[in-house]
Amino acid sequence: MYKYSEKDKNILKNRTIEFKYQVERRLNGQLTEDEFKPLRLMNGLYLQLHAYMLRIAIPYGELSYLQLRKLAEISEKFDRGYGHFTTRQNIQFNWPKLIDVPNILKELSSVEMHAIQTSGNCIRNISCDHLAGINNEEIEDPRPWCELIRQWSTFHPEFSFLPRKFKIAVTGAKKDRAAIEVHDIGLRLIKKNSKIGFEIFVGGGQGRSPFIGKKIKNFLEKKNILNYLEAILSVYNELGRRDNIYKARIKILVHELGEEKLKELVEERYKDFENKELELSQKEIKKIFSFFKLPVKKSVKSSLPINDSLEYKQWLSQNILEHKVNGYSVVIISLKPPGKPPGDINAKQMYGLSDLSYKYSFGELRVSHEQNLLLPHIKNSNLYDLWIELKKLGLSTPNVGLISDIICCPGMDYCALATARSIPISQKISNSFKEYNSQKKIGNLKIKISGCINACGHHHVGNIGILGLDKNGEESYQITLGGTATENAKIGEIIGPSFPESELMNALEKILETYKKNKITDEEEFLEVFNRIGISEFKKDLYGNS
Amino acid sequence: MVILNKDKLQKNDYKFVNELLDITDLNKAKIIVPKILWKEQKKILKEKTEKIGLQINSDESIDDIVDDLSHFSLVQLNFLSFRDGRPFTFAKTLRRKFKFKKEIRAVGHLLPDQYIFLIRCGVDTVEIESQDEEVWVKFFEMDEGLYYQ
Repeated sequence: MYKYSEKDKNILKNRTIEFKYQVERRLNGQLTEDEFKPLRLMNGLYLQLHAYMLRIAIPYGELSYLQLRKLAEISEKFDRGYGHFTTRQNIQFNWPKLIDVPNILKELSSVEMHAIQTSGNCIRNISCDHLAGINNEEIEDPRPWCELIRQWSTFHPEFSFLPRKFKIAVTGAKKDRAAIEVHDIGLRLIKKNSKIGFEIFVGGGQGRSPFIGKKIKNFLEKKNILNYLEAILSVYNELGRRDNIYKARIKILVHELGEEKLKELVEERYKDFENKELELSQKEIKKIFSFFKLPVKKSVKSSLPINDSLEYKQWLSQNILEHKVNGYSVVIISLKPPGKPPGDINAKQMYGLSDLSYKYSFGELRVSHEQNLLLPHIKNSNLYDLWIELKKLGLSTPNVGLISDIICCPGMDYCALATARSIPISQKISNSFKEYNSQKKIGNLKIKISGCINACGHHHVGNIGILGLDKNGEESYQITLGGTATENAKIGEIIGPSFPESELMNALEKILETYKKNKITDEEEFLEVFNRIGISEFKKDLYGNS
Repeated sequence: MVILNKDKLQKNDYKFVNELLDITDLNKAKIIVPKILWKEQKKILKEKTEKIGLQINSDESIDDIVDDLSHFSLVQLNFLSFRDGRPFTFAKTLRRKFKFKKEIRAVGHLLPDQYIFLIRCGVDTVEIESQDEEVWVKFFEMDEGLYYQ
């Protein structure tokens, strides 16, 4: 994991002092609320429906056991004893008091954490493949690149007052687990003629106008990545729309200018960087890479413990992935137990998981954009003991990738923008598919739920997407089918008129029935069936022929 | 209003004019003109011997004045709102691409919290309310250790 340099520590310390000063100026009237807002947002502080919400950055999803322990402490001391992991690998606390925030930031800085780049119209926290560095198929570990981009983008003088927020995701693998094509910029490390470089996508995004990113660069030498990013951001900062908040993201600029024109403008600006001030030297790259060496180096002979427990076997087959190094496994901790809000974790679980990470996973943890946690390096022979302990903490739900492994935004239970509740819908679904076998029969299926058109719950790219709307004062849910955020990213298609909450589960059942009766083999997944038969079959069964 | 250069006040030699008629003695005054006036009266203004500054609002472009840059002793970037971050890129582009070496000044709705952002993008001076000088200087002094770039 990356360790803070003296410079990093100093910047963080000074930023905490700066924020305290800004709060003081707000309180004594030197700053209006309008002026204070972007400044507090730079430090992750939102004003939500019922209270302030503090979103804490977990850069590219890497977390140490000490950091998780600190989050547990903060949740108990300053909040209501729980936290919520988001789709951009961050964590948010929903009930902090404004007066406590400078102290929370101070406590966070003691474990090299902060809330910078988690909100506001800046370059946001960089997100990444949760299996970075530990999967077999990747070209190169993307985490060092995320860290280099983090340092370049943090409080960037030119890009801290952009037209709108700006999200970058990086992967080093062909298989996309970081949803790079629905980010403002998506980067993928690829190999061409034995050289490694970046493939660059621009203008992906969700919200009210969803777009899949356009590839504007087939191959860029790695050392030039910051120059190229700066060229893209410079064009966006100058030309991105500022007259309408809903048209201010770069996806709209790409759409309005056209892919070719944008590419031309970026390339032209990239040429201006004659001084190559941001070109990375081999030495710098090597130094950052040295922080990300795996704690496990050599293969070990370590086999999976055998046990007759059915639950253990289910967990092994559902939540465990192969590690790059033989003898180790990657364990996914589902934060989607039946009936609970997806991504939520309580203080007791955070303390417990912190200890387990120390005991079994070299003190490392990760957060996935699917709102689950990972213990990345578990020796196979420890899996049974680990499972027993996870079970005690209520963290052994064997549902990764299945129908109840839902991505869900906080919705109207917390969020000031929401038009409907989303958590109760997710709870209903996970309660009706509690049994492992009933979920397994349906197979891999991604349901994603958003409580408004801003699409924080990624409904556009759910195999089944659910969007909560306000229809004449009543909550109503629109269903989309066929979306996916993987390497073949696709925006889901709206199936038809929306449903009131009371009819939603019935509609979902009907959609699953259509899938079941049309699948040719047991293995054929929902998305494959959808792609084969199209939306009309589903529509016919759901609404009848009328 | 006063002009701050780093942590020191600087004498303001320029007068902002909206129309040519406002200039009592065209050949003696140092003036700043809005882009629209420059474009309309370029011919007359080019003959002016004293220094000319050009004001660009945050919602305007710099593309159509870059060929004229040699005529300006100052470029003034006017923030219509502190949220409108376009002038940061204007300043950076003027310095990086067009090698503009003269003074770049930021005016309009600005926050002291943005001071170092401005300086790091190539802005030399800011126009501020005189009572705000202390807080601006405080941010200037915080520069060390707040940035990576």
